[in-house]
Amino acid sequence: MSSATEQTEADTSHEIGHDEYDPIGTLTLIGLYFVVLVLMWFYTYFIEFLGNDPTVIGSVVTAGGIV
Amino acid sequence: MNIHTYEKFWLIGAMVLIVAFIATVTYGAAGLGIAMVDDEGGTIAPDEIGDHDKFGDPGVHQVGENEYDVYVHAYTFGYSPDTIEIPENSEVTFYVTSSDVTHSFTVVGTNVNTMVIPGEIAEITAQFDEPEEYGILCNEYCGFGHHDMEAELHVVPETEFDLTELAVDAPDEVDTDDQAQVTASVTNGMLEDLDTTVTLEIGNETVEEDVTVAGDSSEDVTFAVDASTLGDGDHDWTVTVDDYTESDQLTVGTDDDGDSDDGDTTEEE
Amino acid sequence: MSTYVDNFPEEAAIVRKAFYTSFVFLALGGVFGLIQTLHRTDFLRFMDSADYYTVLTAHGVFLVIAFTIFFLVGVFTWAVTTSLDRGLEDLRLTKLWFGLMSAGGLAAAITILSGFVGDAPILGALDADVLFTFYTPLEAHPLFYIGLVVFVIGTWVAGADWIRTWWSWRKDNPNERIPLPTFMVITTMIMWYIATLGVAIAIIVFILPWSLGLVESVNPLLTRTLFWYFGHPVVYFWLMPAYMMWYLLLPKLAGGRLFSDPLARVVFVLFLLLSTPVGIHHQYLDPGISEGFKFIAMTNTMFLLLPSFLTAFTVVASMEHGARQNGGTGYLSWLGALPWRDPAFTGMALAGLMFAAGGFSGMVNAGMNINYLVHNSLWVPGHFHLTVGTAVALTFMAGAYWFLPQLTGNKLWSRPLAVGQTVIWFIGMSFMSNAMHRAGLIGMPRRTAEPQYENFGFDAGVGSVAELDAQIALGGALLTVSLLLFFVVIAMTAFNGDSDYTESNSIPTPLSGPEDAPQVLDNLKLWTILAIVLVIIAYSLPLASIIDGRGLFGPGIEPFDPIPFSVVSTTLELTAEHVTGVIR
Repeated sequence: MSSATEQTEADTSHEIGHDEYDPIGTLTLIGLYFVVLVLMWFYTYFIEFLGNDPTVIGSVVTAGGIV
Repeated sequence: MNIHTYEKFWLIGAMVLIVAFIATVTYGAAGLGIAMVDDEGGTIAPDEIGDHDKFGDPGVHQVGENEYDVYVHAYTFGYSPDTIEIPENSEVTFYVTSSDVTHSFTVVGTNVNTMVIPGEIAEITAQFDEPEEYGILCNEYCGFGHHDMEAELHVVPETEFDLTELAVDAPDEVDTDDQAQVTASVTNGMLEDLDTTVTLEIGNETVEEDVTVAGDSSEDVTFAVDASTLGDGDHDWTVTVDDYTESDQLTVGTDDDGDSDDGDTTEEE
Repeated sequence: MSTYVDNFPEEAAIVRKAFYTSFVFLALGGVFGLIQTLHRTDFLRFMDSADYYTVLTAHGVFLVIAFTIFFLVGVFTWAVTTSLDRGLEDLRLTKLWFGLMSAGGLAAAITILSGFVGDAPILGALDADVLFTFYTPLEAHPLFYIGLVVFVIGTWVAGADWIRTWWSWRKDNPNERIPLPTFMVITTMIMWYIATLGVAIAIIVFILPWSLGLVESVNPLLTRTLFWYFGHPVVYFWLMPAYMMWYLLLPKLAGGRLFSDPLARVVFVLFLLLSTPVGIHHQYLDPGISEGFKFIAMTNTMFLLLPSFLTAFTVVASMEHGARQNGGTGYLSWLGALPWRDPAFTGMALAGLMFAAGGFSGMVNAGMNINYLVHNSLWVPGHFHLTVGTAVALTFMAGAYWFLPQLTGNKLWSRPLAVGQTVIWFIGMSFMSNAMHRAGLIGMPRRTAEPQYENFGFDAGVGSVAELDAQIALGGALLTVSLLLFFVVIAMTAFNGDSDYTESNSIPTPLSGPEDAPQVLDNLKLWTILAIVLVIIAYSLPLASIIDGRGLFGPGIEPFDPIPFSVVSTTLELTAEHVTGVIR
């Protein structure tokens, strides 16, 4: 499509080009998300899942066990 | 291709997360021995279930010192058996199949949860240490009665657990001067011998006999009851072995309206 | 610089039709959802519990098949024509596919809804109380399966329509990179062709003949596996249009530019490659499939997190660009410089935020052994109401606030109400989904009319089951209010004829443009072949093993009618009784 930059809305904005742009806010948010994911994963796996035993531990091969 | 430095950090972070998730699950499997239900259980056609050696009479079997196999038949809308009793400190393998549609076999509040697909046998093993009562529910939609489909799993103290069955064979009637044979068949499903006492209460009498039933077998105990000591009429009797009882009624005396031993129904004198 | 309807009036008419059809299904599906939340929590039961499963089938199919797909075919038509700056090749083909989708959708809808009319003549026999997954041996009326097939064929023809348009543009523009929006549409459609193959085979070869009595038995594990071959990539068929809107519209709405066109292409290629060879993660607890195959599915699924992780960065960075261009500063305070009064922006931003949470429960679902904890529990609907229910649905609703003016030339009626609508959706879903996740963790099942059992209860740990049920009902009520607001705004906008809307239908150029994208990314033939190879690797051995053990057509598995009409009074009768009882 043809290029189109700023639109009709009243703008007090200035342009930030590719080289000047430093997405430090994104890095902050995504770093926070990373920490949340690690904590939530540990909690869900080690406390909720492993704490919910008995858990299935495998099929035991016994003489009468296989049909 | 231009990837911003921060996005490179995040790319590394994302890969770390992905690998960490896989590693955790692998630890659960290889380190803790958690196994997935798989194709080891074998197959069975739904119309073979009734005739099957184990699924035809579903229930609990002891297969090792603290090892039990439980065969469960899931159907619309329930489970057979609907109450499963196992002892504490046991390793239990469930074999579950369905004769109609896909169900689940899910022990509530635990990680014992499997799909039950007609044609397939789901085989899962779990260790039950503490005495507890669990509910079992079906979490795979199976039709209009899906929400009513439930069962129970009782883990009982070892002293309360047995695999004893009692069946009694006794006549309904006996002649006044005759003897009635009341035979109690005691089956012991455990691997260990069962030392117990069979008790017959009839009329005012109580008769006991000690019996030892070997592991995985059955013993018959026969009581000979003298009809003359009871007298004519109806007498309730009860046979008891441990917590199991069978009761019924024995009628003593000739039947006035029916055939008698004399062969002659009319009284001429 | 003009609106879409100015540039492409005929295509705009089709897109409007697609959106309005989609909204009808959204309305019906939404009402059913409310009924479900009230029934299963035992707040209000006015129908037989057996009818709950008819409601649930309708809720699932109307929302995740009809609402989503009718909407996305509108978005894709807009995207292709806008980015190629040319109309569709032949509008008769367009009307054909729209007609097929409508006919198929209608047929399936009729069969599902006839579950409510008991033993009424003709209609009564048509029912399809099999839920969105229609697992055999549960059986629906053949017309249900035919409807689904015709609907999917409609989408196949739609893909052909867009691909044809692209090819014809390519002849006129031989050395140019595929414009990003068209690139996204084409990669999504190739993924869809590969994905629908499984469910098409399941229905056409097995389930439809079986429901017609031409074949006596099916192999339930086989049809289930073929369903999930399709059942996972279908979620990307919903997500990729939402991502497309986040990549193309969100930066513009935020007043910025897309952070990276090349990375967007990488993301869509990754979805093309990885969406399908993962379906067995829905079958972790199935007997008959070995642990090795399940482990492979898990590894593929975990890597499928990557394109979503990349999207999170790129989309947030694009929003941040807009915020900073508008004067935003600092590590976090730039968030305040975003256009929160623009409902299209707010809806999509809230949808993205909710997706971050839904992504987490998705990561748990991807785990093989942890699946014992959550499989078929209420956690699973908790998860997908965050993802398809918000990331997709709320993005579509928010997108509609931008699209509808473009399609009609009318200004959006009431921006404040529209913003309120998106916020209420977010709050309602927070209550409902959070409670569903917690309830799932304590063992409460999904897909059930009455999670109240005779011989046992659920141990809530923190709080109580009653509190969880209350939040589910509250959430459902708030979501219904939000839906009502949405329809009011949409209807008033459609009829807002004397307003003058002039915003142009254009997307700003990205910060890092297609010229920075390696040429190989546009080599769609290569990616298609690779995608097919990955599917063959993931599925050939498991399918062979399933067929080997139990036969292509199974061991004598006959159809099972989930809700025979003899079981229930018709819902209409019961409802009438209740209503007249109340009035008297």
